[in-house]
Amino acid sequence: MKRFVLLLLCLLVLGGTVVPVLASEEGKLLIWADDTRAGIMRELAGEFTAKYKVPVEVQELNFGDIRDQLSVAGPAGKGPDILIGPHDWLGQLIVNGLIEPIDLGVKEKDFTPVAIAAFSWGDELYGVPYAIESIGLIYNKKLVPQAPQTWEELRTIGAKVANRSAQRWGFCVPHPDPYHEFPIMSAGGAYVFGNNPDGTLNPDDIGLNKKGGVEGMRLLKALIDDGIMPLGVDSNATTTLFKEGKVGMVIAGPWVLEDVRKAGVDYGIAKIPLIDGKRPRPFVGVQGFMISAFSRNKMLAKAFLDEYVITEETMLALFEKGARPPVYIPALNAVKDPDAKAFYEIASEGVPMPSIPEMNSVWSAWSNAIELIFNGKLTPEQALDEAVAQIRTAIEQGRK
Amino acid sequence: MAYELRLDPKKAGRGKFVGLSLVVKVLLLGLLNAMAFWAGVVLFTQKHYWLVAFLLFGAVAIDYIYLTERTYPLRFILPGTLFLLVMVVYPMVYTIYISFTNYGTGHLLSKEMVIAQYTNRDMLRKDLPTYQVEVFKNTADEFAFLLTEKTGVQLVAVDGKTFSLTTAPLTPIDADGDGEYERLGDYERQSLLSIFPYLSQLQNLTYEHQGLRLKMRSPNEFAYFTRRYQYDPGRDVLTDLETQTDYVAVDGNFVAHNGESLDVGYKTVVGWRNFRNLFTDRRYFDPFLRVFLWTVAFAFLSVVETFLLGLFLAVLLNDNDLKFRGLYRALLIIPYAMPAFVTCLIWRGFFSTELGIINSALLVPLFGKAIPWFQDPFWAKVAVLIVNLWLGYPYMMLICSGALQSIPRELYEAAMVDGAGGWKRFRTITFPLLLTQVVPLLISSFAFNFNNLNVIYLVTRGRPPIPGSLTPTGATDILISYTYRMAFETGSGGNYGLAAAVSLLIFLLVCLITVFNIKSSRLFREVPQYD
Repeated sequence: MKRFVLLLLCLLVLGGTVVPVLASEEGKLLIWADDTRAGIMRELAGEFTAKYKVPVEVQELNFGDIRDQLSVAGPAGKGPDILIGPHDWLGQLIVNGLIEPIDLGVKEKDFTPVAIAAFSWGDELYGVPYAIESIGLIYNKKLVPQAPQTWEELRTIGAKVANRSAQRWGFCVPHPDPYHEFPIMSAGGAYVFGNNPDGTLNPDDIGLNKKGGVEGMRLLKALIDDGIMPLGVDSNATTTLFKEGKVGMVIAGPWVLEDVRKAGVDYGIAKIPLIDGKRPRPFVGVQGFMISAFSRNKMLAKAFLDEYVITEETMLALFEKGARPPVYIPALNAVKDPDAKAFYEIASEGVPMPSIPEMNSVWSAWSNAIELIFNGKLTPEQALDEAVAQIRTAIEQGRK
Repeated sequence: MAYELRLDPKKAGRGKFVGLSLVVKVLLLGLLNAMAFWAGVVLFTQKHYWLVAFLLFGAVAIDYIYLTERTYPLRFILPGTLFLLVMVVYPMVYTIYISFTNYGTGHLLSKEMVIAQYTNRDMLRKDLPTYQVEVFKNTADEFAFLLTEKTGVQLVAVDGKTFSLTTAPLTPIDADGDGEYERLGDYERQSLLSIFPYLSQLQNLTYEHQGLRLKMRSPNEFAYFTRRYQYDPGRDVLTDLETQTDYVAVDGNFVAHNGESLDVGYKTVVGWRNFRNLFTDRRYFDPFLRVFLWTVAFAFLSVVETFLLGLFLAVLLNDNDLKFRGLYRALLIIPYAMPAFVTCLIWRGFFSTELGIINSALLVPLFGKAIPWFQDPFWAKVAVLIVNLWLGYPYMMLICSGALQSIPRELYEAAMVDGAGGWKRFRTITFPLLLTQVVPLLISSFAFNFNNLNVIYLVTRGRPPIPGSLTPTGATDILISYTYRMAFETGSGGNYGLAAAVSLLIFLLVCLITVFNIKSSRLFREVPQYD
């Protein structure tokens, strides 16, 4: 009998894995969203159904699963009509033939240009953006009363705050974590991929080892050598240090603010200080709605986005729940929250995170270079040249 | 009743216990069949015909075997065999197949699907006018449209054709005379709100107008569309009608003469390409050897260290004179009971060079020097081995404890009579006898650690990087984490074909090592000699 029970249990587990993912059904909208957005989407869906008499179902998936499951469920004729995700999924979804261009017509003008640029591929738009995020300088007002305006000021203030025996540091940027190091490199003109004449990204032009990149790395390495910044601290550890008042300034995104507020730290948000008079430009991530290429309700999905999502009320509701600044200008103008406004300011000067799939070849080599520089194993020039060579190799390998 | 059964199971066949067991058996089999049927229907609708066949076969076989006395022994073997087929053999065959394809980012869909996507792609004719639309519906849920161009020209669209107002088969009716038509023949005008439930039907309707295709662009607008791509099956070419470029299907991509290819590629069999790339490309093969050596060292050292510590503790705990044995044993099992993920992350925090407790609370106060745990290749390897020691010794302690119990007491007594000391007794009796029992487990532990991605990935992520390598490689990367890097962190990411090829090689390697281990471990199976 025990064996039977075991067998049954096994079959149940097996059964669980073959339960079909809800499929796109004609006349009914299915939306895939992660846990941070499923709730609000359900509320909005209920209102939409009441008004337009179209049933809308919201299915909650893990953030990463939305992209991965789409590649399995979409071609099998299942999967959603609409999915919600960041713009840097775009490349992979497009070359896999999984999402559909969206034609916003005149409404395109109502969005922040950087958000439209982020969701564009060639001359087509592939998503309706709704929120923007990026990283900036967050400082502890008790330790650093006034945010530094230039990198020299940051060094001076940092040196004053740092106290090794008290395990306190002046400044910290999570590392090795290229996303956080990029603004320091981009100030002097380093970039990941150069632009083609038509505005698309050119994966054969890699500019991480340009002068600004080398210079940025040198500046950070100097902070470590002078005891202003701790070595080997990832993003979780950085947040912890900041919450405990053990670091004066960090480079971080709005997602750490909730923890920081709970810890009772009096914080301020500022742009990352100028380097040689030039503004560091962080990566910008834009969140948006995309339409599956396998949807049987493309017109309905577009109409849902057009008539219902692109409105001040919906965009504000999404902002209230997600705390990411909106990119729909009428909604943005109605936002009062100073943190969101500050991060919007920072993000609108940023560079959209490259969305071409070749970006996958970049992270690991880049992260290694940062680590080798900070560990003192290679000079910034050597490490970045090597990283660029590795990235080039990896991209070529992918083409074979 | 159970007592009665134990007394004479044969006789119990007539008792009410078996009557009950038969009922339970039939009920459970029924449940199983119901589930199999349900799963079968689901799989059938998803067109997994092979799985349906397998499920059907499995269900029938289970029913037959459990209801027939003759096949009694099979009852114990069959379920396991079925699961072996599903969970082990099938994934293996599939992996082998994938390793010969280009399956991965950009090559996900079948060729037919890619062609269908391109040829169905409609392009808005921006040079032509668009129309404001009013929607009319009859009682049979069929639709007609009144289209109005900016210039004021009006068209009626119905049944796939367009007409001018005067020639239309439907008479526009403006009953209240407000200049707007309430009806087109027997079609009644619809509000924008009320057509939403029909949009998925409306999006597929197209109307011919002067040789061009008119269709809905948004719920209140019609526009002209043309097909952008045309497929010629004879030449296997997709033609971009806008630029008149031919894209030829080559090895999973549609490629033009100038080398440019369409965004979406298709999945296809590429033969030995993945394997060839692995072995002929120095950039991959160079680090491979280095990573392989560390993998073997990591697996071997992990087994040895956990075994030695586990054995030591087991021998200690086996001593009857030890007080609070139960307490110690319980405490020592804790690392085994904690989820490895959590443990790994905690250790990672411990080892952090500047913030970690090991440096700040132990090494700096005692020796005045911090160890660069994750910055130095040697110390990173030590760190990984320490974490694995923590995770692995309770298992070894458990199996050694068990094995110790089964060593006959008489041997020790005899040895004592012969005047053998504690160390000699351990060396000549305990150790050899223990080894015969635990060697198979040591081998399986080796194979497990060979592919122990968790510890590597969670503690060091394969870092620190090796300077001067041609592809991003870390000093603590083992084969499986290196595979992950190659497959998912190069090219466009998600290169499943390559990943499958490497996994296959790792599988063969582990097989070889295991076979070799089992062969050589036969040595231990000889009766140990007592000198």
